[in-house]
Order: sequence, then C-alpha cells, then structure tokens
Amino acid sequence: MKELIKELTEAYGPSGNEDAVRETIKRHIAGHVSEMRVDALGNLIALKKGQPQSGIEPRKIMLAAHMDEIGVIVSQIDEKGFLRFAPVGGVNPLTLLGSRVIFADGMIGVIGRERPEKPDEFPKIEKMFIDVGAPDKEHLTRKVGDMAAFLRPLADLGQRLTAKAFDDRIGCAILVQTAQELETTPHDVYFVFTVQEEVGLRGALTSAFGVEPDVAIAVDITTTGDTPEAYPMAVSLGAGPAIKVKDRGMLAHPGVKNWLAETAERLGLPYQFEVLEAGTTDAMAIQTSRAGVAAGVLSIPTRYAHTPSEMVDYNDVQNAVKLLVGLLSGPVKI
Amino acid sequence: MQIKEFLKKLSEASGVSGYEAGVRELVREEFSQYADQIRIDTMGNLIALKRGEATQAPRRSIMLAGHMDEIGLLVTKLEKGFVRFSTVGGFDLRVLPGQEVLVHGRRDLPGIIATRPPHVLSPEEREQTMPLDKLFIDVGLPEEELAQLVRVGDVITLQRQFTELAGNLVSGKAFDDRAAVACIAYCLQHLAAMKHSWDVYAVATVQEEVGLKGALTSTFGLMPDIGVAIDVCHGNMLGVPEVDTVNVGGGPAIAFGPNIHSLLYSRLVETAKAFEISYQPDPTPGPSGTDAWAMQVTREGLPTALVSIPLRYMHTTVETLSLKDVERTGRLLALFIASLDEAFAQALGLKSE
Repeated sequence: MKELIKELTEAYGPSGNEDAVRETIKRHIAGHVSEMRVDALGNLIALKKGQPQSGIEPRKIMLAAHMDEIGVIVSQIDEKGFLRFAPVGGVNPLTLLGSRVIFADGMIGVIGRERPEKPDEFPKIEKMFIDVGAPDKEHLTRKVGDMAAFLRPLADLGQRLTAKAFDDRIGCAILVQTAQELETTPHDVYFVFTVQEEVGLRGALTSAFGVEPDVAIAVDITTTGDTPEAYPMAVSLGAGPAIKVKDRGMLAHPGVKNWLAETAERLGLPYQFEVLEAGTTDAMAIQTSRAGVAAGVLSIPTRYAHTPSEMVDYNDVQNAVKLLVGLLSGPVKI
Repeated sequence: MQIKEFLKKLSEASGVSGYEAGVRELVREEFSQYADQIRIDTMGNLIALKRGEATQAPRRSIMLAGHMDEIGLLVTKLEKGFVRFSTVGGFDLRVLPGQEVLVHGRRDLPGIIATRPPHVLSPEEREQTMPLDKLFIDVGLPEEELAQLVRVGDVITLQRQFTELAGNLVSGKAFDDRAAVACIAYCLQHLAAMKHSWDVYAVATVQEEVGLKGALTSTFGLMPDIGVAIDVCHGNMLGVPEVDTVNVGGGPAIAFGPNIHSLLYSRLVETAKAFEISYQPDPTPGPSGTDAWAMQVTREGLPTALVSIPLRYMHTTVETLSLKDVERTGRLLALFIASLDEAFAQALGLKSE
C-alpha cells in the first residue's frame, strides 16, 4: 500500500485542480467497483453494488475522502518576474518560507520573502513571493490564477511516513485500498472522492445531495496531542485510527460512532476516540444534506497537519482499511 | 399539562447538542397526547403531526420549531485523575468554574468544575478568565477507577435545580430553548380544544446550538408551507441598554426584519391585539441566530416568523424568565394557527398544487 500512498501524495491537486489525483484513483479502482462517474464539480463517485445477504438490511453508504490539497494561487506578477500569491485553503505562512512549490505543468518555484523590518517578525503572505527562476518577465510563462502545490516527496521512515497532502490523500488511499480488498458487501457502497474540501467542503455538499446516502463516513486526518508541549488532546500516532466524537464543525452521529467502535472491538483492532477543537471534515456538509444523514468520521492521526511534512503511522492506516472492510461486510448497526 | 412542572422536568433533563435522547423522551410523552402521528428523523428531531380539519386540497401546513438541545461539555482527555473537557455550543468560560456537572460515563458521575483558589494563582491569572485548557473537572475518583468509567468523548451536562423566584419568575438551565418546547406543548394543548384547518408539525429540533442543524434538515424533510421558530431573547437586566432587550413579563417578543415574512409578523401582532395578549415588537435587523434563519432558505424558501420568550442571563445555568410569558407565547401560537386559512395562503402567494 506504500506505493499507492506515495503516488497519491505526490500527485498535484490544489482545490479545484484535482484532475491528476482523480485519474490516479480511477486507474486503481477500475475493476473493483461496479460503476464510476464524475459529477459537475469534479467529484469522483464510484459505486460498489451490494449483493443481497439474508438477514442483513441493505443500506446506501457513502464513504468520502477529499482529493484536493492546500496550495497557493498567483495573484500578481511584477516587472522582474516575481509572483505574488494568495493562499488556497488554510496555509500557514510559517510553513512557506524555504518551501518549493510546483505548478500543474511541472514548473518549480521557491518561496522568498521581503526583508522584514524586524528580524523576528511573523511572516505575512503578502510579503512573500514565488521565484521560478525566470531572468525577467518576458521569459515567464506563468499567468495570474495559476495554482501551485507544495513539492515534497514522500519519505518512508519505517513505521511512520511523512509527506505533503496526507490531508487527505491518506484518506483517498484508504478508500482505494478498501475498494480493492472488499470482495462483497450487502450494501450499496459509494466511494466518493471529493473536490474542494479545503475551501469549504464544497464537493461533499453536492455529492451527498446527489448520492442521497443513509449513512456516511468521511475518512480524513486529525491532529494529535503527542508532540512536545502540544495542546491537550488524547490522540496519538500509532494508537489506532481515531473515531470522531466532535470537531469544530459537527458532532458525529452517536450511532455511527458506536458502530465504528464496536466493529473495531469485534475485530480486535486498536482505536481511539477523537475530540478535535479546530477544523472539520466533509462529514459536516454531508450530515445536513437534504433531510439529514447519519454521519461519522474515521480519522487518521496526523502530526504537523497543513505543513509540507505531515506524518502518519503506517499501522493506523492499515488498521483503518481493516476496520472499513469489516464495517462494510456486516449489517449497519446504528 | 402544568407548564411549570413540565418546564422543570425539561430544564433538569440532560440533552446536550447531538445527545438529545434523554430530553426527547420527555417531549415525546407530552407531545404524543395531542398528536396524530409522531416520529424521530435521522438527525434525531422529534416531529409531531396534529392534523388540521381542512377537507379540500391544497393541504396546508405550518411547522413550529423549538430546539431541545442545550449547550454542554465533552471529555477530551483524562489527566492524573482529572477530566479535561471541551465545549459544545457557545459557553461563557467566565461562568464555568465552580459549577456542578454530571459526567455521562459508563454511569453518571457527579463532578465539579475545579476552581483553583485565589491563593495559588499568579497575579496575572487572577485578572483573567481561565482559558479552556486550564480548566478541569473533578469527579473524586482515583486515576485508575476514573479511566474505567470515563472515556474521551463522554458528554457532560451542567447541573442546576429549577428554582422558583418571587413574582412568577423561574430560574434554571437550558430554558434556552426548552421554554419554547414547553410553549409548543401548551400550544398543542390549546389547539386540542380549537378548530384549525392547517396541519401542524410541532418539531423539537436538535443541534441548534451547534449551527441550526436540526431545523435545516427537518424543514427539508417536511416541506411545510410556513415556519415559526420559537426561541428566547435577551430580557431586561442591569448593564444592558434597554434598546437591546425586551421586558421579562412583558409578553412574547414578535420579531420583524429580513428573517421574518411581514405578513406573518402582522398576523401575529393582529392576533395578539385581538385576544389582548401582551406582546413586544422585536426588531431583528440581521441574522436572527435561531432556527428561523435556517428554515427560511430551505429548498425554495418559505415564509418564516420568530416568536421569542424574554429571558435573562442567556447561556448560563441561571437563565431566568416569567412563566406568564411562556403561557402567553403558547396561547398566541395556538390562536395564530387557528386563524390560518386559504385566504391567508393566497395572500402569502403559496403554491396551490
């Protein structure tokens, strides 16, 4: 699965530009799902049809992972060919200095900064620029509106992996792997790879309206409290996938939360409950779609979220797949 | 139904946003006495239908929404035998230290939100509100036993006994918005003795305090012709300009503004005048912050109104209101519903299919 994770995290896909990620996913799930379609916003919706099983009530289940990543967008180009930019999604200026970014066509740029008035001044995005190495404006092929993503290859640290865009390519990888490993299911399972989560859960909003699921589970990352002097939070890397109770945007459906926890216990898989003080996921938008959806979240504990070097534990990832496969093979208990 | 007893039961019940099952049972018991049908939707909204007497198409319906959830707390971490927590809904951190709570672990555990004595605080700490990550709960158990009974994600409710003050005022927790639920029950009780042609959906909504979520989804599911939210608004108190409050004991506050359809407002006012029910106009220039805000733009949109019960000390455990206002609000709603006819539907421009 590490190869798949590497391929997905290294793909280019700032919000609204998810094409490369979508093509990669299509290639990997072809043959493992009954049908696939791409909706008007660009969400990839793959259905694995259920096989009736006696004694199990079939349900319509939506799994969602977002394909987009945070990035930057060119807002202005100066006479010397330096590119001013604005953030796409929640970009922390501190993580930009010294970073390399890559455009859709493969062009690479580095991020520089105006000389600060005080040496310890907090960097502001308005005072930064991208240098693509063009000698002057005439030789520059970039335009205002071009988007770039962080450039950072995945590093395999053994038990742990670090890469850009684990948020939420790790969720995409888990969904792909689940689609591959799930041989049969009594339910109609919609694997939905959403767009534009980082700019306001836009893809989840429309895909949930289109799919009309009974139950939904978003697979996304959560932060942890296991690094030095972290904000108090009882989530650690390697202690199992996290089952969300609450984040800033939603309260998980208690039935879905318990269904996930009971399944983990039945399968002997480690898990932890998560209360996240900041951030939210696609599940927030799905929950209030139409007349309401029983929605929960399976989270992958991730350190250094929204930096080019996010970190996950490989066991948590594999256990998340096992949990989902187990979940989708049996009855929905909520 | 005795309003005081019902409000006391509702107020003292636990029902933090997302976990309304406990209080919902009490509401169901009460609503089911007057309803033709009762059900719970996916989000947990309690929906009671009282059919109107109209025999001809088109069948019209009104939805009443009062939220039954309350703000509360959630366990985030266990640390050395103490409980760290986060908030659900808009809590004022200044009023938390020293409160009694119930931690809903494997069994309910009484606890207190610790308040470190002034003697051990630094001069800076004495001057400031304790931030959330410095607050914790003590349930009195040693570390190992605590870990067996309490887990991350367990819900915590603030505890407070319902208290009768002089002058027909009462004080307690979660009057926001269980006082509205009591109003709706009172309204249904009145309607049982009246004729009304429109169907009435009485909805006790969930998750209002975390983003009007129950109203959003229940309105989508029901598709009523019009919607009325019942909520609380700031009552008169020292230190708050009169222009921002209404009088506790002065009768229901009837909102007007962009969130409110002007014909619903004027019909409510005419009804109050006709039946000599004291009321207070409540100018609401922007987002009302109530279920009416979500209802108004559901699907293709619907005419909405908002009736509020004047209440002091909102989002504390000593919310205070007048029982008389609760009764008047319930009565006003019943009389308003009884006045709804096809001519009014036509005036609102409601579709006829």
